[in-house]
Amino acid sequence: MPLLRGRVRCRRGVERARFQDAQGARPTRPRGGIRLTINKSKYDLNVEPNWTLYYLIHDVLGLTGSKQFCDRGECGSCTMIVDGKPVLSCMMLAIECDGKTVETVEGIADEGHPLIEAYAKHHAMQCGYCTPGFVVTSKALLDRNPDPTGEEVVEALAGNICRCGTYPQHVIAVKEAAAKLQVEKAAGRGQK
Amino acid sequence: MREFKHFNAYSIDKAVSLLGHYGDRACIIAGGTDLLGKMKDTILPTYPEAVINIKTIPDLNYITQSDGMLKIGALTTLAEIADSEVVRSRCLALAEAASRAASPQIRNIGTIAGNICQDIRCWYYRNQNNRFSCLRKGGGRCYAIKGDNRYHSIFGGSVSGGCMAVHPSDTAPALIALNGKIKTSSRIIDAESFFEVKPVKTTVLKTDEIVTEIQVPEPPIGTSSTFLKFALRQSIDFPIVNCAAMITVSEGKVAGARICLNAVHVVPYRAVQAEKVITGKSLNETVAEEAGQAAVAEAKPLEHNEYMVAVARTLVKRAILACAG
Repeated sequence: MPLLRGRVRCRRGVERARFQDAQGARPTRPRGGIRLTINKSKYDLNVEPNWTLYYLIHDVLGLTGSKQFCDRGECGSCTMIVDGKPVLSCMMLAIECDGKTVETVEGIADEGHPLIEAYAKHHAMQCGYCTPGFVVTSKALLDRNPDPTGEEVVEALAGNICRCGTYPQHVIAVKEAAAKLQVEKAAGRGQK
Repeated sequence: MREFKHFNAYSIDKAVSLLGHYGDRACIIAGGTDLLGKMKDTILPTYPEAVINIKTIPDLNYITQSDGMLKIGALTTLAEIADSEVVRSRCLALAEAASRAASPQIRNIGTIAGNICQDIRCWYYRNQNNRFSCLRKGGGRCYAIKGDNRYHSIFGGSVSGGCMAVHPSDTAPALIALNGKIKTSSRIIDAESFFEVKPVKTTVLKTDEIVTEIQVPEPPIGTSSTFLKFALRQSIDFPIVNCAAMITVSEGKVAGARICLNAVHVVPYRAVQAEKVITGKSLNETVAEEAGQAAVAEAKPLEHNEYMVAVARTLVKRAILACAG
């Protein structure tokens, strides 16, 4: 995507003024200013209308954990957790994410989530390109359902595609991470 | 994606007035999973000048019951519909259809209104950079008629000359079978007459009209509904054929039936012949088989899609048997 910001903004400014005259309305939030919470840090950002959430986080902010593969909402590699739900960041406009809370695979790794270790231990990857998407989707599942059955894991991961065919390993890894989380949770309660 | 202007609409009136200003040069965005793909591939000869976000309109995301109607706001996501106890208990077909559409991630952002208003998926139409200027883009011919038409219409075409692209929605046949209504910013339309084939259009919506609510009337006592989908992949995939049915049984006989197939015709295809066959009879394997035959009696498959006739026949039969319990 081109980064001709100065020129584009200038032209949009003129268009906006024209439109205001015609309609008494104007494009909301001039210059596409949005506020985002990404992995618990707050950001104040200026975005172009044609930036996807993926482009903003991966290319502009440099959080390169999530991967873009199909860019058409078919593969799940770019999955991020937005307001608690796993969604496709390539299929969302950044400008429409004002005020949202985003969690990426970096955030999940930073909090030391047992999924990361379980994925490595059970080698739920071959080339590894789809893995961040799987981890993020699994994290969202475990947040919602701390003890999923194999079937529920398969159902939740239905939107992620792995062309290496590592699917059986994901169920094993997610279930192990779930068990570990429950133990951690029980221990945490015990201490209190 | 190329540049475009982006507006957040904070009321239905505002969205409508913006649409009135831009006309065909603007697109409405809700979930965006259909629109962004189209824009990224630049499949159309024209590129939207403005994109109008309606997610910012408050109170358009709800599932309520009033006056014997189940009302679903236009911005309700497919996941919310699939998980809703009310929808599942009252109209199973819709809940099933919503839960079988696309993938979990897309269901989390894709809306019910977007699902019924989505564009066709014909691979000539969707080819990148407007490679095939087909009938649906106001061009000269349908490339599927002589080309690869394995996922195209088995009930003939539409648009003068014959566009063979099927309607890909999963929730549309469910809404038609359930006798649903689509409320827009200016009128209420029966789900059955909501779909239309015109260049770059799949619905009867005017350029400055948006869907605001989906309404499903309370089914009579003794009614059951179901939704079945046949696709190549079990997870994320568009249907090869899908079928929704709502059947009312009273005193052991079928008192009313609505069966709708989709992805077999340019608009959702109501299997009226099959409905006639089962009405007044008690449901069993033979009657269901006969209804399946009747549903595809008028099929005119193309060179590569004869298999879809068998799939449609079987889905109608299975849907009837599923409703019979």
